[in-house]
Amino acid sequence: MVQTQEADTRKVLDWEALEIGEHLPSFSYVLTQEMLKEYRRGVMDPEAAFPTISHKVDVGAYGRAYRDHGSVNARCAFHCYNTPIPGNRITVHAWIADKYLRRGKTYIVTEAVSVDDNGRLLDRVITHELKQPAEVGKKWG
Amino acid sequence: MGITRTFKVGDELPPLVKHMTQEAINLFEGSAGHRGPSQFTDEATARQTLGTSSTVASGRMSLTFGLELLRRYFGADVYNRGGMVDLRFLRPVRPGDAITFSGKITAISKEADGNRVSVEVTAANQKGDVTAVGAGSCVVPSGFFPPEE
Repeated sequence: MVQTQEADTRKVLDWEALEIGEHLPSFSYVLTQEMLKEYRRGVMDPEAAFPTISHKVDVGAYGRAYRDHGSVNARCAFHCYNTPIPGNRITVHAWIADKYLRRGKTYIVTEAVSVDDNGRLLDRVITHELKQPAEVGKKWG
Repeated sequence: MGITRTFKVGDELPPLVKHMTQEAINLFEGSAGHRGPSQFTDEATARQTLGTSSTVASGRMSLTFGLELLRRYFGADVYNRGGMVDLRFLRPVRPGDAITFSGKITAISKEADGNRVSVEVTAANQKGDVTAVGAGSCVVPSGFFPPEE
C-alpha cells in the first residue's frame, strides 16, 4: 500500500520556550488577477488594493513552523507601502515579534513583510494572536 | 499648484458601513486559497474551535474596512503609499451584522516627508456595540497642505 499522507514535521508550540525574534520560514506565491478580484468581492470594495491581507502571511508563516490548538486575532496592524501587482511573485519574510501573558492568557505577536520580485516592499503586518480561541465563545457565545 | 486640502484635529471622516455576509467571508477566505472548513466558513468548526454559535468574520476583514475608511478620506495615491491602520478586535463580527466604521483626526505632526495625520478609528455593529477600536495614520506630502503663513 502506498502511503501518500506526509508526516506533520511542525513543532508543537511551547509558548514558554518560544523565542522572540525567531525567524519563521519564508515562502512565496504568485498573486493572480483572480485572487485580487475575489478579494475585492469579499470586502465589497472594487478599489481594495492589498489582497495580501487575506493571505494572513504572518500567521501563515507561523503555521508552517508550529502546530497548536488554534488562535484568535486579537489585534492587527497593517502598513501600506506599495500596491501589489497581479502576476508578480510575492515573497514573505516573517518572525516572532513578541509574546505576552495578559489576564492569564497567552498571546503571540507575529510580524511579516511582503516584497515582490521587483524588490518593491509592499506591506508590513503585525498580528497579536490569543492562543486560547475558546475564550471567544465563553465571552460572546 | 496641485490640489490642497485642510486637515484639522477633530475633523470627522465620512463613516463607512459594511454589511457582513457569509458569502463575503467565503470570498475573502477563498481569495487566498483558504477553501477548507474553518471557524470563518463552517459553523461546526466555529463551534468546535471558538465555542461560538455561528461563524465569525476574520479580524482582517475589519482591518481591510479600516483601510478603506482611511483610503477614501486621504485618497488612494497617498494612502496606499504610506498609510497604516492598527485595530484591536473587541467583539466578533458575524454574518448579518452591519458594521459602521468611523474616524476622527487626533493629531497632525511634521515628518521628514510630509505631515502625519493621525486618526482614531472605531467600528460598531447595528446594536451600537463596539467591535473594534484603534488608530490609523497617513503621511500626507507637504504639497497637499495649504502654504504655511
